[in-house]
Amino acid sequence: MAKMTLEELRNLRDAKKKEMTQRDGNEKSAQIIIGMGTCGIAAGAKGAFDAFLDELDSRNVTDTKITQTGCMGLCFSEPTVEVDVPGMPRVIYGNVDAKVARRIVTEHIIGKALVSDHIFDKPAADIIK
Amino acid sequence: MHATICDLITDLVQNSIEAQATEISLNVEETKTNLNIAIVDNGKGMSASTLKKAKDPFWSDGIKHKHRKVGLGLPFLFQTAEMTGGNVAIESEEGNGTTATITFDPAHVDLPVFGNFTTAAVTLMTYGFDGNLEIRHCLDEKEYSIEKQELIEILGDLNDLESLILLKEYISSNEEELRKT
Ligand SMILES: Nc1ncnc2c1ncn2[C@@H]1O[C@H](COP(=O)(O)OP(=O)(O)OP(=O)(O)O)[C@@H](O)[C@H]1O
Ligand code: FES
Ligand SMILES: [Mg+2]
Repeated sequence: MAKMTLEELRNLRDAKKKEMTQRDGNEKSAQIIIGMGTCGIAAGAKGAFDAFLDELDSRNVTDTKITQTGCMGLCFSEPTVEVDVPGMPRVIYGNVDAKVARRIVTEHIIGKALVSDHIFDKPAADIIK
Repeated sequence: MHATICDLITDLVQNSIEAQATEISLNVEETKTNLNIAIVDNGKGMSASTLKKAKDPFWSDGIKHKHRKVGLGLPFLFQTAEMTGGNVAIESEEGNGTTATITFDPAHVDLPVFGNFTTAAVTLMTYGFDGNLEIRHCLDEKEYSIEKQELIEILGDLNDLESLILLKEYISSNEEELRKT
């Protein structure tokens, strides 16, 4: 890949925007929140982040937001990822490595079925916040 | 603890974000003989006694990890420097911000591998925080820099999948250009 300029970046963005408004725009977006605290990173949260981007991109999923939070206080099951797909229960997954991240995309976000072997038991609210 | 230099850098920038900084600059310079890292923020800063405590691996301010009073970021940095003959200087003034200047010897066998700068930069640029972040990366004579507010102006919401993918392409093309011989 040749070095991209800011101008090229702007053009690519405009092209994408056009393409997106041509599609049906009233779909609500899914949200992925990745725990990027010290423990999460040590446990491989960045690998999960890259895998989410790659898998969502290669499967042409749109309308998704990926955000990060610091410490979720769930060290023992890092990397932790919260997934919120409209019309489905909000779930927290534990031990999300790159492979599990790809499964979350295909099974949960596309297939609308929970990845049950990685669901983190909903802890008491005071532990999370 | 941390597998790579890039993870260590991530942790330090997160410290600046957690200190409510609105302006953060990260400068990474690699040469044959030196790896220089500088992080400057205008966050809440530390008093002399807090700074002293912050070097202690058995201390964290108790606000962030209610269940764990042990910070891992700074102690790891000092430990890595000590093990590899590197140097760390932290200057901080309460209310005015913090500057961390780090020099490592890239040839030292015990220095962690550098890691993936593209992913570190993408995650830092899209970490939830309202201020501005400037990242500059130099390798010998080449360099590039990116600025968060400018990227938002071009891409819109950086946390949208479309923006994230373009941002990653953009940064990785700049990284490739740096490494090209
Ligand atoms: N840039 C900074 N500005 C102000 N205070 C800071 C800064 N960096 C570190 N500190 C203070 O030093 C303490 C120790 O930092 P350290 O990164 O070692 O641990 P932590 O951030 O509390 O926890 P962890 O990084 O393990 O999640 C912090 O809790 C904070 O009070
Ligand atoms: S990042 Fe693990 S307890 Fe905070
Ligand atoms: Mg820290």
